[in-house]
Amino acid sequence: MLERLKLAWVVARKDLLLEFRTRTAILSAVVFTALVLTVFNFGRDPTAVPTIDLAPSILWVTFTFAAMLALNRAFALELENHALEGLLVSPLSRTSLYWGKLIANLLFVTIVEAVGLPLFVLFFDVPVWHVLLPLVGVIALATVGFVAVGTLFSAMVIRTRFAELMLPVLLLPFLIPPLVGAVQVTARLLSGRPASEVVGWLRLLGAYDIVFVTLSTLLFPHTVDE
Amino acid sequence: MTLAQKGRWTTLVGLVLLAAVYVRALAFTPIERTQGPAQKIYYIHVPAAIWTETAMILVGVASIFFLFLKDARLDSFAEASAEVGTAFATIVLTTGPIWGKPIWGTWWTWDARLTSTLFLFFLYIGYLLLRGAVADPGARARYAAVLGICGMVLVPFIHFSVYLFRTLHPMPIILKPSAPALPGSMLATWSVSFAVFTVLYVGFVMQRYALARARQEVPHA
Amino acid sequence: MPETFPHNAGYMVAAYTVAAVILVAYAVSLYRRTRNL
Repeated sequence: MLERLKLAWVVARKDLLLEFRTRTAILSAVVFTALVLTVFNFGRDPTAVPTIDLAPSILWVTFTFAAMLALNRAFALELENHALEGLLVSPLSRTSLYWGKLIANLLFVTIVEAVGLPLFVLFFDVPVWHVLLPLVGVIALATVGFVAVGTLFSAMVIRTRFAELMLPVLLLPFLIPPLVGAVQVTARLLSGRPASEVVGWLRLLGAYDIVFVTLSTLLFPHTVDE
Repeated sequence: MTLAQKGRWTTLVGLVLLAAVYVRALAFTPIERTQGPAQKIYYIHVPAAIWTETAMILVGVASIFFLFLKDARLDSFAEASAEVGTAFATIVLTTGPIWGKPIWGTWWTWDARLTSTLFLFFLYIGYLLLRGAVADPGARARYAAVLGICGMVLVPFIHFSVYLFRTLHPMPIILKPSAPALPGSMLATWSVSFAVFTVLYVGFVMQRYALARARQEVPHA
Repeated sequence: MPETFPHNAGYMVAAYTVAAVILVAYAVSLYRRTRNL
């Protein structure tokens, strides 16, 4: 198990190093996030609808777009120069490969979220300090959920025509439970509702993560093997 | 008789029986007092919804067996069940709003059944698109199986999300007869309709499966 | 006692028609695709 994790980290490191050498993807994702938040700001009338009502949805739509950008590049790197075949004939286990990709994608999305959240707080004047820890917690829970499924699907989609279009289409239904849960919990946290109201949603998010990370790990070999 | 021919006959029988259900539902089943005649849409809407979901579960189960057994027939069955499920989902998503408008006053309601079916529809479309987008038959079958299994596992999560959402956001209370609470004559109509939809599912799948198997024999470009 | 219920039979007819059209159209589509099988 530990060996697998170490190998996964090797894969993740490779991806992240490649990413940070060029920095294009992470920069475009960050810029994109700032852009989306700005557009949302101009799309609303603060006198008609209080910010706090729209804020959770805005935050999560932004994070979802950012995650899509990250996932789209996940296997694109390997397609060039047939690097994926090289990875597959190496003694690297499929589980390590999946986990490596998952970790790299999670880190990528986390960085974008870490920039996006302060921007969001700034642009929309949303008080988050008193709930920062639970908010970060729910962001982590939801992100793990859709990045786990997204990483699995990006492995399949990369060999289809219209790969960038297929991924969001396939992923959409799978985003619903983590997104709905995340928006609901975020909304309750931001408006200072008691913790008891969010327990159900947190259970949903937790269960989703456990189930889909496990399922994706089990199914991943079928996306790369004959 | 080939499988496709048996499927055609089964479908024909199903359609004839459907006509009988129509007559029974429209002319010989009492009108529900609060909702009026529009309530009768229920006899078509709900059986279609049940089969939409069951078809997805069957896609998932066939996909699991396919990944273990590698039997192409299982892949063909999954392909067939997905297409038929999509057709039934279309029925639910069209009859639902037509029912909703006179009863709830709005074309779309985020009620449990309609919402779940909408996401099932997205799952089906994704599944069919994926099948269409992968050129290599081996990869197509494996990828479809992966998606099918994920889709089947997603179904309870969608139900739970909708349930949680609704308990915290109560919808306006509208009298909507649920299956066990239906009085005798209505329950009988509903049951017969459900049986007919079952026959139609079987007939459709038999034909679509035969088509999928035929295409496997002669791979087309 | 007179039956008083909302008069929305039009919707009922519309829904039943739509469902029938979808089912028959799909049946025809399958028939045409599997005709030679």
